[in-house]
Amino acid sequence: MCLLEVIDACFTYPQQKERIFSDIDFKVGRGEVFCLLGPNGCGKTTLLDCILGIHRLDQGSIRVAGEDAKDFRPGEMARHVAYVPQRHDNSFPYTVIDMVKMGRTVYTGRFSSPSDLDKEKAKEALNIVGMMHLRHRPFTQLSGGEAQLVMIARALAQETRLIILDEPTAHLDFKHEMLVMETIVRLVKETGLSVLMATHFPNHTFYFENQDMPVTVALMHDNTFLESGRPTEVLTEANVGRIYRVKSRLAEFEMETGGILRQLIPLSTLRTEDNMDE
Amino acid sequence: MALAPVLAIVLSLFIGRYPVSLSTIGQVILTKLHLINYPVAAVNTVLIWDIRLPRAILGAMVGGCLAISGAAFQGLFRNPLVSSGILGVSSGAGFGAALAIILFHGNTSATYLFAFAFALLAVFLSYMIGQVYNTTPTIMLVLGGVIVSSVFSSLISFTKYVADPYQELPGIVFWLMGSLASANYRDVLVAGVPMLIGVVGLMGIKWRINVLSMGDKEAHTLGVNLKLDKGIVILSATLATAGAVCVSGIIGWVGLIIPHICRMLVGNDNRVLIPASMALGACFLVLVDDVGRVITGSEIPLGILTALIGAPFFVWLLKKTRGGGW
Repeated sequence: MCLLEVIDACFTYPQQKERIFSDIDFKVGRGEVFCLLGPNGCGKTTLLDCILGIHRLDQGSIRVAGEDAKDFRPGEMARHVAYVPQRHDNSFPYTVIDMVKMGRTVYTGRFSSPSDLDKEKAKEALNIVGMMHLRHRPFTQLSGGEAQLVMIARALAQETRLIILDEPTAHLDFKHEMLVMETIVRLVKETGLSVLMATHFPNHTFYFENQDMPVTVALMHDNTFLESGRPTEVLTEANVGRIYRVKSRLAEFEMETGGILRQLIPLSTLRTEDNMDE
Repeated sequence: MALAPVLAIVLSLFIGRYPVSLSTIGQVILTKLHLINYPVAAVNTVLIWDIRLPRAILGAMVGGCLAISGAAFQGLFRNPLVSSGILGVSSGAGFGAALAIILFHGNTSATYLFAFAFALLAVFLSYMIGQVYNTTPTIMLVLGGVIVSSVFSSLISFTKYVADPYQELPGIVFWLMGSLASANYRDVLVAGVPMLIGVVGLMGIKWRINVLSMGDKEAHTLGVNLKLDKGIVILSATLATAGAVCVSGIIGWVGLIIPHICRMLVGNDNRVLIPASMALGACFLVLVDDVGRVITGSEIPLGILTALIGAPFFVWLLKKTRGGGW
């Protein structure tokens, strides 16, 4: 079943002339990972914001679970789609468990507080990401990686079938980047969750592919999708050269356990006059 | 927690230039409640029942409302340095009162009404300025509040400038310094209505304030109806503050520092912080008012004392808790 369908989406910020993106078309199905890849400022975050209902499209439509998102009541989107921000701007030092309970907002009345059931769901979510032991710590004192895993737990507590992640590993160290990626893979495989993720790292999409996941990658370039498909088909040296202006080599390793592992290795940046299809 | 303000109110019945004993207070109150019938001296009845009690009750209500609104606004604006006056409610009320003092020569009802109406007007204007593309981003609301506050501050200065320096000016100046000296049961009832509505609203929506403090984008993705929930918080806090300010005049500090002190004591979860701020704010203002009544022969305005007494306490607490996680 198709969880999210974006049809001919175009967006311009109000009172500005420049199109942020246009003619965007894609679908995310059940248990699928969809990766948005593209250079800084290509409009990935704005596209995610439009899907989340923060901005309205000029043209086209966004359908969530078969319904047009335009007809959603305020807050209804949160029943279908959860969101993990790139980086949470700290406000007050709430405890970790309270942060995760906020994922239950959509199930909590305006004038009531989270129930015992909500607390159980929050604990369950913390267990899944392995952050249960930190539940009484102030969120503001966590490391970047721990904080990101807690934000994923908050999205899980929301019990949606699709989670949108905006560059979830952007500020993380080597280990925590891996930990977040592993967690995403585990969730998709075990719970049939769907993931829409913006990322800066082409190798993230190869990681998903190497793990045998149904993954689609879309290259965003010049305000639209240049190409989309399986990482192996799309992330060619030529495409990477064109959208990032980086010369790279695609390396393939044979694993002892069988199967082929792919990684893109960047070599150098390209100057404007260089031919990108060299 | 709910008991503390009651204790503060009872305590303040004893405090004053005219000493009364516990048994006298008991006799007066029980007689007034028709539980016993004891021949108490009229002076004691007037002093305890008609002067000290309504004043202490009003003090608790005003202090509680200022602090609870401050706590709610700090959560909404994601900033612990925000106070209950952030959207211009105090300067609006100040101008309204000053205007009424000039136009109606200090008629009490007119002063209350004008103060209350202009307090609401100021917040409404801030909200309208903060509205962009059908949304109200937090930063625009703050900016709206700053603009409206400064306009009303100028208007207050203007009313002072044109006021009669012997008849009206002292009234305006004293009003702006805040006082509970004229408190009576009518004040308690009249101002109690908006205060009660505001307090009920904030106590109800306290968990949502946590979610709102995640910032607009995250709150939206968590399923908050931003416009409605922000509107409820702003309206409730405004009713509570406007109700308080219109009977007490401008009392600074309480709406800023009491919530902050509570953050150090009970943490930042608004489910606890909101009621705690209200209780502590109520106690604080009642006790400060007691000090103001007895410390010198003539009363010292509340607005002066809140900071003078509160600041050393705040610094002491800051040192002791090392800022409570800030």
